[in-house]
Amino acid sequence: MQRITIDPITRLEGHGKIEIFLNEDGDVANTYFQIPELRGFERFCVGRPVEELPLLTNRICGVCPEAHHLAGAKAADAVYHVDPPRTAKMLRELLYSAFYCTDHTTHFYALAGPDFIMGPDAPVAERNILGVIHKVGLEIGGKVIQMRKYGHSVVEMIGGRKVHPCTSIPGGLTKGITEDQRKEIETMGRWAVEFAQFSLKIFGDIVLGNKAYLDLILGDIYTHKTYSIGTVDENNHVNFYDGLVSVVAPDGERIGKYGPNEYQEWIAERAEPWTYLKFPYLKKVGWKGFVDGKDSGVYTATPLSRLNAADGMATPLAQEEYDKFYSTLGGKPVHQRLATHWARLIELLYAAERWVELATDPEITSTNFHTIPTEKPTEGVGIVEAPRGTLTHHYWTDDRGVVTKVNLIVGTTNNYAPMSMSIKKAAQSLIKKGTVVNEGLLNMVEMAFRAYDPCFGCATHSLPGQMPLQVTIYDAKGNPQEVLKQFC
Amino acid sequence: MTEKGTLIIGLGNPILGDDGVGWVIAQNLKTQFDGDSNLEFEFLSLGGLSLMERLTGYQKVILIDALSSGKHPKGKVVSFPLNDVPDLTSGHTSSAHDTSLRNALILGRSMGIDLPKDEDVLIVAIEAENVYDFSEELSPMVAAAVPEAVNLVIDIISMK
Repeated sequence: MQRITIDPITRLEGHGKIEIFLNEDGDVANTYFQIPELRGFERFCVGRPVEELPLLTNRICGVCPEAHHLAGAKAADAVYHVDPPRTAKMLRELLYSAFYCTDHTTHFYALAGPDFIMGPDAPVAERNILGVIHKVGLEIGGKVIQMRKYGHSVVEMIGGRKVHPCTSIPGGLTKGITEDQRKEIETMGRWAVEFAQFSLKIFGDIVLGNKAYLDLILGDIYTHKTYSIGTVDENNHVNFYDGLVSVVAPDGERIGKYGPNEYQEWIAERAEPWTYLKFPYLKKVGWKGFVDGKDSGVYTATPLSRLNAADGMATPLAQEEYDKFYSTLGGKPVHQRLATHWARLIELLYAAERWVELATDPEITSTNFHTIPTEKPTEGVGIVEAPRGTLTHHYWTDDRGVVTKVNLIVGTTNNYAPMSMSIKKAAQSLIKKGTVVNEGLLNMVEMAFRAYDPCFGCATHSLPGQMPLQVTIYDAKGNPQEVLKQFC
Repeated sequence: MTEKGTLIIGLGNPILGDDGVGWVIAQNLKTQFDGDSNLEFEFLSLGGLSLMERLTGYQKVILIDALSSGKHPKGKVVSFPLNDVPDLTSGHTSSAHDTSLRNALILGRSMGIDLPKDEDVLIVAIEAENVYDFSEELSPMVAAAVPEAVNLVIDIISMK
């Protein structure tokens, strides 16, 4: 048996590793996607006051600390059985909308952009954000930087710090915003709406306007018919901060919606011997292995799945794009994984529109941003939609509010099973008998899971000296036969 | 004498074992140089574009971080300018989620942002033992290297 190893995966947080096993004929027999797990977080949290957890959990991840801060704050609200005032909820959602704009922008231009704008076969040295800016124009780089700056500014105004917010506490927030800040936030939000529209236009011109890329998106190698999940509001529209998690079958049928307290009835986790990380699946459907279909409990939690799990978007411009998305791709639900990049830009537009809506609400500057908890703390669950999937925090405390147990299901983990399936399918389609394994081809294997925007052990890794991408092919006896390198 | 506007950044995750060593060293320096208007301190868990954005307006930057090269003994203190780093595709200074710090700096400069030259971004790093287990404690070999790293940074800023 031949063995191909891609280690580590470039342009991803953490040290992921893909192994591709070939059979005697040189076809793909199996693939394994391994992720090193960070250990001991629950032990680290036990014994601390629960109000510290929104500050600690946002240190788990340097890419989406805002998501952890808010999921933690909502779980801490629930632990204290306190419902924050409307202004507090709006301020948290406003912060979150601005964060989403920053995060989705960075993903599109820095991570996904190189694949589509430069093309999967472009030389490695050009397949980065510099190559993208060089190709589409310097002014776009300026807009990306500006979008990020505005997002950081809003997070700092409401969250107290630029990246790791610290103002959400059980029952609401420690501070509100002034009218001057509100005006500034509104102005930045209006700019963000234009930027999101501009980004969708680029996507339309460069990706949808290129038949080869459109064929790649619509092709079978990046398609999986799995369940979709995502949080929706009372109108079944996509919401990032609050609502119920909608679960939609591969054929589009909504099989139910669950609230935070019901997540354990819906989500279970499967252990496999070859990886420390567990694979979440839909408990009501059951684990049938790494397979597609309505009988398999494998689900995705991504921008694409959020659109699939909802009936539409809550803002007008994003709704127009939502309609166009499904009419172009042949109706709901869409299962072509590379369409996730397009879905992400529709979410960017929604987040920007929501930013303006919230910034212009008359109650956003109210000083009623905190309800003092009065009940005895017990346990609670908080759910938000992280950019890369549904994020669930579950805390248990004693009657003093000291943490006794913690359970987290993080955004990326939701997608571990479908990512593994996508890698296998892409590898099977792209590596066939007689095919020369080259760097562009391996990048197309990586594209299969890059659509999910995964990050593992984010902001947790120390400075490495050098991180080459090395591909080793072993012969049937396990001897190295060929070594291909990237970034060496 | 130190040059005005040197930014010293403790980089890493302060709750992930040795990954927090950069913060410990920077905090030690901040305490020693409290009130020195020529030095500024930041404590960050960032990389790539986000880290580049924090360097705006500074001519000299010292990044203090943990290192997982596997090439040095645990607790070894090393220093090198950013332009000596052959290629970084992961880690704090090159968050793979967006782009490397070097690419981010090139991008920032092309946007007209006032940023230090690569050779003026100096990295002081300590070979780490544990960066996968949540803890606020440093492993013994890494903790023992903190004074050496502090002195190295003092030597660097004294030379300027």
